[in-house]
Amino acid sequence: MKDRLKEIIDYIKHKGIDYADARYVEQRSESITVKDGQLEAVSRNAGRGVGIRVLHNGCWGFASGSLLEIRDLRRLADKAIGIARASAVTRKAPAALAPVDVKTDKYISPFIEDPFRVPLDEKIGLLLKVDEILRRQKKIKITESSMDFFRTDKFFCSTEGAMIEQSILESGAGYEATAVERGEAQRRSYPNSHRGDFRCAGYEFIRGMDLDGNAERVAEEAVALLLAPPCPAIETDIIISGDQMALQVHESCGHPVELDRVLGTEISLAGGSFMTIDKLRQLKYGSDKVSIVQDATIPYALGSFGYDDEGVKATRTDIIRNGLFVGYLTSRETAQIVNSAPNGTMRADGWNAIPLIRMTNINLEPGEWDYDSLIADTKNGILLSTNKSWSIDDKRLNFQFGVEVAWQIKDGKITTMYKNPIYTGITPEFWNSCDSICNRNHWRIWGLPSCGKGEPMQTAHVAHGTAPARFRNVKVGVSK
Amino acid sequence: MTGKEKIFELLGKVVAGSKADFAEAVFLGTDYGLTRYANSMIHQNVADQNNNVSFKVAIGKKVGVASTNVLELESLHKTCNDAIEIAERAKPNPHSAFLSRPARYKKLTTYFKQTAGVTPAKRAAIVKRICQRAERKGLIASGSLTTSVSEIAIVNNKGVAAYQPNTSTFVNMIFSSADSSGYAQGLSRRFDMIDFNRLIARAEEKCLKSQNPVTLEPGRYDVFLEPVAVANLLEWLTFIAFSANPYHEKTSFLSGRKGKKIGSTLLSIYDDGLDIKGIAFPFDFEGVPKKRVFFIRKGLGGTPVYDQATAKKYKAKSTGHGMPPGNTGGPVPFNVHVAPGTRNSVKMLQSIERGILVTRFHYINGFLDPPKALLTGMTRDGTFLVENGKIVSGVKNLRFTESMLRAFGNIVAVSKETELVDTWWSDIGCITAPALHVRDFTFTGKTEF
Repeated sequence: MKDRLKEIIDYIKHKGIDYADARYVEQRSESITVKDGQLEAVSRNAGRGVGIRVLHNGCWGFASGSLLEIRDLRRLADKAIGIARASAVTRKAPAALAPVDVKTDKYISPFIEDPFRVPLDEKIGLLLKVDEILRRQKKIKITESSMDFFRTDKFFCSTEGAMIEQSILESGAGYEATAVERGEAQRRSYPNSHRGDFRCAGYEFIRGMDLDGNAERVAEEAVALLLAPPCPAIETDIIISGDQMALQVHESCGHPVELDRVLGTEISLAGGSFMTIDKLRQLKYGSDKVSIVQDATIPYALGSFGYDDEGVKATRTDIIRNGLFVGYLTSRETAQIVNSAPNGTMRADGWNAIPLIRMTNINLEPGEWDYDSLIADTKNGILLSTNKSWSIDDKRLNFQFGVEVAWQIKDGKITTMYKNPIYTGITPEFWNSCDSICNRNHWRIWGLPSCGKGEPMQTAHVAHGTAPARFRNVKVGVSK
Repeated sequence: MTGKEKIFELLGKVVAGSKADFAEAVFLGTDYGLTRYANSMIHQNVADQNNNVSFKVAIGKKVGVASTNVLELESLHKTCNDAIEIAERAKPNPHSAFLSRPARYKKLTTYFKQTAGVTPAKRAAIVKRICQRAERKGLIASGSLTTSVSEIAIVNNKGVAAYQPNTSTFVNMIFSSADSSGYAQGLSRRFDMIDFNRLIARAEEKCLKSQNPVTLEPGRYDVFLEPVAVANLLEWLTFIAFSANPYHEKTSFLSGRKGKKIGSTLLSIYDDGLDIKGIAFPFDFEGVPKKRVFFIRKGLGGTPVYDQATAKKYKAKSTGHGMPPGNTGGPVPFNVHVAPGTRNSVKMLQSIERGILVTRFHYINGFLDPPKALLTGMTRDGTFLVENGKIVSGVKNLRFTESMLRAFGNIVAVSKETELVDTWWSDIGCITAPALHVRDFTFTGKTEF
């Protein structure tokens, strides 16, 4: 395919366009789900195709298809050019690309054990074992456990001369148990909700999860929640666990710093951002304790890769430094607007999708606190764990999260369990109330395989490094 | 387009030659174009053509699923054999059901040449018109315009051969100013049935009228929910309440309430894939004809939708709501209708003494407390204060957190006018909704714009 991509790029070069790139992507996945004691589904999906992106007279066109003969690719290229021409009717300022180092390179994500070679029996057996443990608790009425594996092989070729080959392997697993009684349902998940935790890794990641070793505790907690009192509606100090902190970072920092969103190009779907360009290096986003980076270079993290889908090498850049908003996620087109270099965050959900600015690994940097000391230092508060629901306004200011479980903290000790906890806030007020973050011993990366953005909807695999953190005077339990 | 004959021939050969007890192929072919605009100019203009074939096979009670997008006989045979290999290694599932047999499907015209023939230039010309109109008023236009062609076919080795070609057009537009925005959307299988001028006028009017918004404190207000807002709420209920699994697992607000009062007598909600007032589609992804299912009928609780597996598991009959192979979420109602009422929507609004008009909701989530159908979300793109039956000002956006059980009990009027609202998959369905007047709707937070 490399040769065919080069040939088609040569063909496009002679069409008088500003720039073009072609991506061949081959994707393979396996998904296993066990539900309520039975093997619900095992499915394997495979697909491949080419997407061609053209910039012509400052306007974009994109066409993709699954037919790969050179005559098909020429038709595809002509289609993309025709679409770019059509776009010109509303052109104002022509789109242009920031210069980058043109690369010929190969990247393979690290892994030890290829999950596609692990016998199906073994994978199914582990999930059935987990399910059996969960269902030992009589009040557990719904169980679901799953594993997902993805392999993506792709070539990127541009009219500038880039030729980049990448192979990325991803693995994930998780489960949830729901206790149901008298019109009430309470759920606990492991290692995280929404199909678990994911990494750019092989089956060794699944082996290290201790899935079965946590099942008994998870089931017990779900049942205990049925009898727990509701989380009170108060304003109090909260400590957010690392798993929930991942989604907090995702929604209230990761999305609002996507520069395409800031510039308005996501308004038709998920909205804009309050972190407008005039606020760059001006906005006190959080307290001095808060530093957030984007880092696509961390081995094994789900948001890591060698190059983005514009051929820009993966980077680590600051977003928030000691509370100050200092950087965006950018593309070659948008980086120039804020006088910065593109930081390699343009990614497409397969061959038939156009690259968009996507989160990579957006990480809250660790602080200095030991977890036990942080609990001991909290006189009155609530500890919140594991995401259940998420909602945020279309400029990413007013958020509300529901979590699976909470515990009262009284005089430095974790006491009563609460059910149906909700907390809410306004993004910069909330992050400015952060007074403590746990240290690197409590910091880890959580992989989220289902970040949605764009039209048509694209799903990105992203991650967030987080540690438990404390926030002062936050509204919790606000549902009336 | 690939065409019915070629699809049946290719897939028929593969499933007939399969050694599995049951072999089914689901074909989904798509050819779409999407023009996206922001800041009153096109920033994304794309086209894609793809064919996907998924095989579901069974050996006894053991099931395997595999899919490919290579529509060549050799690749299809290989993929079907992959599914068989998975099935051979899988564990038996007693709820597996393979009952699809040849059926008669209602003849529906779901493909329109005029929509299929829309070019990128034609879409761009429409977008230019939208943008120019916004700019003439000093506003900014954002949105998208999609035209698509799809083919869906189900072929199995028990004689099922179902095929339906489709077209779809969807446009959304947001007009915005420094402190306001207004939304309009249109959905039809026919491009020529979208009244772009009317939608442009609606988005513009909402944006201009909501300038200089006032701040309202959270609390309980009467609400006039426009059809898009109603559909936004229902979209979540299709997953957490109207499907067989949550119903029987007792996490749906409908569970245990069949025939019991759970809302205003003015409210009826049903799914009907054959009702041409919506985006009709004749069969599900298991080749089962669509049936009408009432979730709420004149305020009384109804039943959920089933696919073949949940029908077997819960001793019911499939209602024609099966999803493509590999789906683990259970059946989904894609053709939801809220029955229209008798009130003129203008008069409904005029009857509100003090309340809030909601154009649409944003980022709703329904996982807070599913048995109570407790939803939260934000208002967006046109929220207004209504006093003495008139819109008096725009309102800065508010967060609602409300049980739909409670809200459905507080409905006092339903409009006779309805609108088709785009949801999960506009090739095969939508939500058809009227406007609702609901008393004491709970807002729990506010934002800064």
